[in-house]
Amino acid sequence: MNYTEYLPIFIFIVIAFSMSLGFALLSGFVGPNKPDKEKLSAYECGFEPFEDARVKFDVRFYLVAILFIIFDLEVAFLFPWAISLSLIGLTGYFSMMLFLLILTVGFIYEWKKGALDWE
Amino acid sequence: MQINPTYFTLLSALLFSIGMLGIFLNRRSIIIILMSIELLLLSVNINLVAFSAFHQNLTGQVFTMFVLTVAAAEAAIGLAILVVFFRNKGSIRVEDTQQLKG
Amino acid sequence: MNLFFFLFSAIIVLSAIAVISSRNPVHSVLFLILAFVNAAGIFVLAGAEFLAMILLIVYVGAVAVLFLFVVMMLNINLEEIKFQVKKYFFSGLFVGLILLAELFFSFSNLDLIRNKNVMVTNSKNLTNTHQIGSIIYTEYFFVFQLSGCILLVAMIGAIVLTLRKRPGVLRQTVSKQIDRKKEDSIEIIKFKNNNAN
Repeated sequence: MNYTEYLPIFIFIVIAFSMSLGFALLSGFVGPNKPDKEKLSAYECGFEPFEDARVKFDVRFYLVAILFIIFDLEVAFLFPWAISLSLIGLTGYFSMMLFLLILTVGFIYEWKKGALDWE
Repeated sequence: MQINPTYFTLLSALLFSIGMLGIFLNRRSIIIILMSIELLLLSVNINLVAFSAFHQNLTGQVFTMFVLTVAAAEAAIGLAILVVFFRNKGSIRVEDTQQLKG
Repeated sequence: MNLFFFLFSAIIVLSAIAVISSRNPVHSVLFLILAFVNAAGIFVLAGAEFLAMILLIVYVGAVAVLFLFVVMMLNINLEEIKFQVKKYFFSGLFVGLILLAELFFSFSNLDLIRNKNVMVTNSKNLTNTHQIGSIIYTEYFFVFQLSGCILLVAMIGAIVLTLRKRPGVLRQTVSKQIDRKKEDSIEIIKFKNNNAN
């Protein structure tokens, strides 16, 4: 294994980490910070806040995320197939076609059920 | 790179125990249990990859791929069940799941 | 390299502990993401580069986001979650320690563990992705198709479980709108004006 290829990624991670840490810490130290009771209290048009800051999501976000996972995995299986297509011959080619066919059945199903449209 | 198999197996054993502990200790919400299951599968994956590296055999990595597939499907279905359960019961506490018994 | 291994594994173990013990489920999800990112680092060290990237794409990019979505969607209020660990703490710890001891015992008896320090090499001069691709579709044909079926089942199951059609929602049908002709929608009626002067 040759890990020198990962050196740029490592440098990138170190720089990103130190920069974000630096910004977070510096803005805490350098910025003016005079909290008082009124400043820290929750404010919503003069009232106490009615509900939590975390708003309830719609279920449809979840459904879209799930369908994204499934197709994400499909693409994950496509990468090595595309690279090594010359090694695996016709068997590998039709193996992937069958796999795609199975998933297309699901895709047609969700299209027909209307899971993709946003009413 | 030189790697010592002991460290890999030790890491995955620790991770597996932590995930198991998460399932046992957790009595609050089902979603933490699902996350613990993800941890268990991750420890299994680490073991598979490590042994695939030791034996110079790619079967471990291929099966890690399949384990990832199964884990994603499991997360999707588990969370779907969780969403439906929350819609019917209004909570995701572990005790409430006993009412799912027929 | 061993330094990196210990760094990654320490972060994995600590964040796994944080996953199961933090009170806020959002924090748990974020620690889960941290654990997965570091596990990808471990995979790279073990020579499984393709799987490391897939772990990042699939887990950090999709599964963890799905968990976050669900945590946000369910909107669990934090006061309701009581810290009920104490009741089950000792029995759970007991089971976990027994499991850990068993795993250590079984791993320490492996022959492989005794001959230490295996080299990670790339013998065939092919990339890791290439090697995986050369066997996954042919040698493991049935397992591969089975994973396709699992994905299909997951897709259909998620739709069946969560999709609810709301009645009375007006939808836009684009084809209908485009198909509308002047003749279908406008009627021109000529009045006979009898009282014309």
